[in-house]
Amino acid sequence: MRRPKGSYSPIIHQDEVKVEENEVGGQREAILEARDIYFSYRMRRGGELPVLQGLTITIYYAEFVGIVGPSGCGKSTLLRIMAGLLRPRSGEVFFRGRPITKPTPRISIMFQSPSLFPWYTVLENVMLALIHEKELSREEKEERAKAFLDMVGLSGFESAYPTELSGGMRQRVALARALVSQPDLLLMDEPFSNLDPLTAISLRREILNMWMNQALPPSSIVMVSHDVEELVEMAERIVVLTERPARIAGVVEVNMPRPRSRRSREFYEYVDRIYTMLS
Amino acid sequence: MLDSSTLIVILLGLMASWARMGVALVISILFSLAVGIAAGMSRVLERVIIPVLDILQSIPILSFFPLALYAFVSLNPILGPELAAIFLIFTSQVWNIAFGVYEAVRVMPGELLEVSRALNLGAGRRFLNLYLPITFPKIAANLPASWANGLYFLVASEIISVGGMRVELFGIGSVSAGFIISGRYLELLVSIVAVAVAVLLTNALVFLPLIRMSERYRMEEVPVEVPRVWLDRVFKPLKDVFSHAYLPGHRELASAFSGISSRMGELRRYLWPLIGVVLLTLTLYLSPLLSNIPTGIGMMLDGFTRLGVNVFAMLGFSVLRVAAAILLTLLWVIPLTVLIHGRRILESMVVPLLQLGASIPATLIAPLIMDMVSSWGAPIELGALIIIILGIQWYLFFIIYGGFKSIPSEEVMLCDALGIKGLGRFRHLYFPRIFPSLVTGLIVAMGGGWNTLIIAERLEVEGRVWEVAAPGIGKTISLAISMGDIPLLASATIAMATFIVLLNRLLWRRLHGIAVSKLRVVEEA
Repeated sequence: MRRPKGSYSPIIHQDEVKVEENEVGGQREAILEARDIYFSYRMRRGGELPVLQGLTITIYYAEFVGIVGPSGCGKSTLLRIMAGLLRPRSGEVFFRGRPITKPTPRISIMFQSPSLFPWYTVLENVMLALIHEKELSREEKEERAKAFLDMVGLSGFESAYPTELSGGMRQRVALARALVSQPDLLLMDEPFSNLDPLTAISLRREILNMWMNQALPPSSIVMVSHDVEELVEMAERIVVLTERPARIAGVVEVNMPRPRSRRSREFYEYVDRIYTMLS
Repeated sequence: MLDSSTLIVILLGLMASWARMGVALVISILFSLAVGIAAGMSRVLERVIIPVLDILQSIPILSFFPLALYAFVSLNPILGPELAAIFLIFTSQVWNIAFGVYEAVRVMPGELLEVSRALNLGAGRRFLNLYLPITFPKIAANLPASWANGLYFLVASEIISVGGMRVELFGIGSVSAGFIISGRYLELLVSIVAVAVAVLLTNALVFLPLIRMSERYRMEEVPVEVPRVWLDRVFKPLKDVFSHAYLPGHRELASAFSGISSRMGELRRYLWPLIGVVLLTLTLYLSPLLSNIPTGIGMMLDGFTRLGVNVFAMLGFSVLRVAAAILLTLLWVIPLTVLIHGRRILESMVVPLLQLGASIPATLIAPLIMDMVSSWGAPIELGALIIIILGIQWYLFFIIYGGFKSIPSEEVMLCDALGIKGLGRFRHLYFPRIFPSLVTGLIVAMGGGWNTLIIAERLEVEGRVWEVAAPGIGKTISLAISMGDIPLLASATIAMATFIVLLNRLLWRRLHGIAVSKLRVVEEA
């Protein structure tokens, strides 16, 4: 496997290209498959509100998938089902070939808000994700958490409390917490929507670099967003959902070299295609 | 058997008591408006009014009684006892409303006042168009709690026995006490059920509609959960502050406690409030004796001399009783709240049951409990503990339950995602999140606990007396009330109030200050 033990290099090579290493007989191997997912919310006054209706989606190794759809269509619900946080009413989710029914440290999820515990320091918040790593000593956990904080550019802030940080820094802590367990799959639910534009730009770039660096987790990323341009910039494949109950309206493969310029004509053509599918 | 005349007596008693409490509540609201607006408006008045309110609410309610009785009876021998009863109920209802009004005026946006100035509104119009709407939500939100408090002291206010004076006012409190004394338990049960139903109806038909109506006058955008019967007998207007504060790390907590002890030197800062307590209580008790001040002071000194060093034993035992009651209550409250958190169906079954339980005033069944305890041959101490628990458990449950309700769902989900379960989840998420509610609950329970002591440590109903063997400040006060021993009553009350004020200033307020300041937590929008 591509996971080095021991020390973690925070150095990220800008132009390193992800190698698709998991091809089996020319076919890409799935890391996660959600098959025929139904989900509905129970309404207060009885009755059910169908949210997902027979949705099937496959995420491959070393892939960056974007999910976009009208607001309230069930994007976040889908992501939570993929994480094992919600059980679908019917249908199954397979992670590396095995059905998942509860959260696993191999899949990390980042929410729209950083959701840091204000009573813990930055370091303690990150270490919380290692709570089940029984074979690691406290020092090892600390070292690993520090390495990941360093990677997201927060070295020196280990003993700060979340309230002392800016919104962007808090989201970085959340990123470090999501990565410290070295997941194979990172799920992100509109991670940049609460950030100011400048912070969002730099955080996007860092996440991309991290994903492209094959020496670092995670292998694949699924990002839910309502910002089409953000997805075209980052994702390799964009799944467009319909209104609630969500079905797949279409899939767009983004074949643009990186770094992608938001000003190119090609970029706008992708954006337009997705907007057409959305409307 | 139950006959229809008994039912009518119960119904009439209920109406009489409700009328008494209603009058007291109206007076409480008027008083709160006057005092609260004045304190919120003027810095000078604020400096006088707020400490005085603070001290008054630290004085055990029942200690007011002999004083009120003498004053009102000398005013009008026939109506006097009735007025005294209303006064006693008033003192149990008024403080949280007054602090609520004050708080509402304090947080009022300055622009509103400027607009009303620019519009040249006179005092009357300003009251109707500005102060009344702005304080309405706070008043409405505090009504159920005030009603519950008044109910708690109903029995004590309807059966008056001070010194040689014995007056029984007709009401559900005295009717129920009569049933207990004559051993008519079926009738007692019926009247208790009647009270519970009446409380629920009053809440549903009067207070909740008022609270709903007041929602639109709210300044905050955030929808606030509808408060309930048990809701804070607010000792300080802490709750709002608390809901934005979190627990500091364990280290901070530890250092906070050591900080408390090291800061005992700051005692001097509390000198003035303390002198205030003493002076105020002195004036209150001595006012009937104003014609002869030296005699009054002599009597006071006499009271303190008779209390002597024993006062520390009394306070110590009493504080232990309240603390034990709180601990025992937490033993069922915390597991239950953890259990129902996130389990909607279970929650929807358990909570209404507890609401029903909370609407039964514990004092109504206090004599029954004492009777049972003594017939088992158990020490009265057990009965006292049960009565204190009955008096405080609902506050603790509902405040802590409220804390659980405010845990952001994303944090729960995060714990799911990280696989943090069981004790780990309690340690990492639940405990820090409910800590502010826990502190609020402890403060409120402590405050309520002190008031229950006077009933719990020594209960006297229709000539029957149950009292704990060990010393207790509540026992002493109750005894002094019963014997009409004003010097003893005044000195014991001063001792208790001083102790409560000290506890508030040195422990609770500091704990609260730490929770707020150490982690300047601002919730993300």
